[in-house]
Amino acid sequence: MSPLKELHVLEGHEDCVWSLAWSPSGDKIASCGGDKTVRIWRPLHGTNEWHCAAVLEDIHQRTIRALDWDASGTRIATASFDGTTAIWLARGEEWECVSTLEGHENEVKSVAWNPAGAMLATCGRDKTVWIWEMQPDHEFECVSVLQGHSQDVKQVLWDASGEMLFSCSYDNSIKLWMEDPDEDDWVCTQTLSDQNSGHQSTVWGIALDASGRWLASCSHDLSTIVWEHGADSAVPGKGWRHACSISGAHDRPIYSVHWNCTGDLLATASGDNSARILVRDQAQKETSFQPVATAENAHEGDVNCIRWHPKVATVFATAGDDGMVKIWECAALDTLTK
Amino acid sequence: MGFSTGLAISDLNDYIAPSQSCVVSLNADSKVKLEDDLDSEYGAVKLHSRQPAKQESAEKKSDPVKISLQDCLACSGCVTSAETVLLEQQSTEELNNKIEQGFKIVFSVSPQSRASLAAYFKTTPKQVFGKLTTWFKSLGAYAVLDTSCARDFSLIESAEEFVHRYQSATAGEIPMLASACPGWVCYAEKTHGSYVLPYISATKSPQQVMGSIVKRYFAERHNLRPQDIYHVSVMPCFDKKLEASRDDFLAPAASGASGEAPADVPEVDCVITTIELLSLAKEKEVDLATLQPSVPDQLVTGLQGTEELHGAHGSAGGYLEHIFRHAALRLFGRTVEGPLVYKTLRNADFKEVALEVEGKPVLKFAAAYGFRNIQTLLRKIKLKKSEYHFVEIMACPSGCLNGAGQSKGPGDTPEEAKQFLEDVEAAYYHSEVQSRMPEDNPVVQQIYSEWLDGPSSATAKGMLHTQYHPREKTVGVSISNW
Repeated sequence: MSPLKELHVLEGHEDCVWSLAWSPSGDKIASCGGDKTVRIWRPLHGTNEWHCAAVLEDIHQRTIRALDWDASGTRIATASFDGTTAIWLARGEEWECVSTLEGHENEVKSVAWNPAGAMLATCGRDKTVWIWEMQPDHEFECVSVLQGHSQDVKQVLWDASGEMLFSCSYDNSIKLWMEDPDEDDWVCTQTLSDQNSGHQSTVWGIALDASGRWLASCSHDLSTIVWEHGADSAVPGKGWRHACSISGAHDRPIYSVHWNCTGDLLATASGDNSARILVRDQAQKETSFQPVATAENAHEGDVNCIRWHPKVATVFATAGDDGMVKIWECAALDTLTK
Repeated sequence: MGFSTGLAISDLNDYIAPSQSCVVSLNADSKVKLEDDLDSEYGAVKLHSRQPAKQESAEKKSDPVKISLQDCLACSGCVTSAETVLLEQQSTEELNNKIEQGFKIVFSVSPQSRASLAAYFKTTPKQVFGKLTTWFKSLGAYAVLDTSCARDFSLIESAEEFVHRYQSATAGEIPMLASACPGWVCYAEKTHGSYVLPYISATKSPQQVMGSIVKRYFAERHNLRPQDIYHVSVMPCFDKKLEASRDDFLAPAASGASGEAPADVPEVDCVITTIELLSLAKEKEVDLATLQPSVPDQLVTGLQGTEELHGAHGSAGGYLEHIFRHAALRLFGRTVEGPLVYKTLRNADFKEVALEVEGKPVLKFAAAYGFRNIQTLLRKIKLKKSEYHFVEIMACPSGCLNGAGQSKGPGDTPEEAKQFLEDVEAAYYHSEVQSRMPEDNPVVQQIYSEWLDGPSSATAKGMLHTQYHPREKTVGVSISNW
């Protein structure tokens, strides 16, 4: 029996799907892409049949590249190539755009709410990372505009405390940002580049595991790297080091990486149309990961995004250039590693 | 060369090393999955980006396209490096050439540059200004002037303009936004266009007021033709070079004997930043520390009370402070005593102050320095949620004393740099720099009555005011921006 099972295929987007995000409780999926829409998917009441419950459209003028739910599950932020970030608020099943954020010079590539849901980070082709803070009535104040990357910034990611912000870029590096009270601003505290045995090409995606100790990054250089925060490092925002590089799993660029909720499984999605599940090899003393399951031709085209269910350790979803969103079930860890 | 954040982000100085899009088009082999590939509007570009073009790239790199600084200013992207152009047109080398060619060199020194140099040489602003005068004269300078006088004009005109806007407040005129920072103005023109421009004060910045006076009033009084003067401005900021290059800041040249109409000349020919000045001193092996000071020149000679330096409240020229006090008195008959009491907002670079009359805030002013605070403010204005009547906007955190063209001090560490900035502030507010209302400056009074028909007159507006232009995206930009 295959360890991976395709549970649902969510059809509706009229162009490639760039990104997907599970709602915090896992009861819904939001997806976005080249058709400039966001689609909200959920099971029909009382059934296990997923359908499209809402379409968020007519705000963005170009591709919606990424989106993120806030912690309450009532707001979605969307990042678009039109240079804006939009904030959508759910009123029952209806979604309303309550705010748009301008400022990026051109394409916005990623957006992320901090865990408390009051701060929003965005990044884009203008090489900058922006931090906004939400005020009452969906008003936003600009907290910081961070320059440091020398190229397009692909993704932003908060840690669980909301005190650390990660970004990854076309300049092949990952940067960590923290607020410096002396400077009254956010500053870069660490850069992970090829000088730290890092990536040789664009870093497309980054993900933190639930413990916050492991950071995974995936790249155009066909590798996934796992970084470890040194337990001996007392300084937050520093002390990340290369733990292992995983090569050979994909033969095309890897666009997306994600840890499951227990931190046992790592999923990667690639331009080779496949999704792979990796597990840490406990037999080895050194940190290493082994592929344990593969969905070849998960999509008919690049797999752009892969995200685990926030609560269920064996369910994940993928989004692809074929315009589909798919929900998958993976065998349990003990079966996979048997 | 470091421009302020707004300009850096809007790709002004981005093209010596081609920006990312250029890299893709030139090295199409490696990183082909641009996300833009699948964006239908950009389909044509996708084909281009996948063509192998390595030879072409070699040719292009060896033979960069050259365009003028005006071209850069007139569009919201650019094809080649603004830096290269700036370095060629406004550099210490060019200054050396002009000296050799026998131009009458007039230096205008900003108080912020003076404060930076005073801190650097651990002396006072007056001493360092005197030393600069000695050095510039030894280079053959015709005159060495203090920009503070032009700032007084700028403050008076801004205050008058504010009162006028407030009294005739129609939508679009309030809040008035300060215009002295060219980084901010250029950013507003390039990326925010027509909705924000009507709010920007029409009053020229001190540098350009100085330019107006030097190339017109001063030239006439000294029997010089505007084109014979090479006007050098010593500034805390690289963005000032952009400002000096604007078409709005030209003075008519005197016609020659044969009656031909010569081209207009820039009011300010060359902007040298504080750090460029320090390198020039090093290159010329001039030790400013040991030079004996001499007495700087005056725009008007023979007046009493011109021998001391005079300062303004606020590192960014004192616009907020002056306009606030002026408006409180003119509009509400209130004399604001003592230092203004600010309320700090999100960070130290965003603060506000209000005048209350009968418990109601009738004047609400803010200072917003740095790119992030500009964003918050512009957002409020765009959504019509701004409660401010006037905002002193500056592109640099901490204002002009911390300008990108200022010396960072002799040390290397962030702590040393921080201490140095404090020293610069101390020098800026040095006790020998006397506080004075701009109207009380005898030079200002003399020039207003002799040349300008008084503050805010039609003549004064002609000489001391300017206008702004939205920079629409051009075809060239859409290509370079894909």
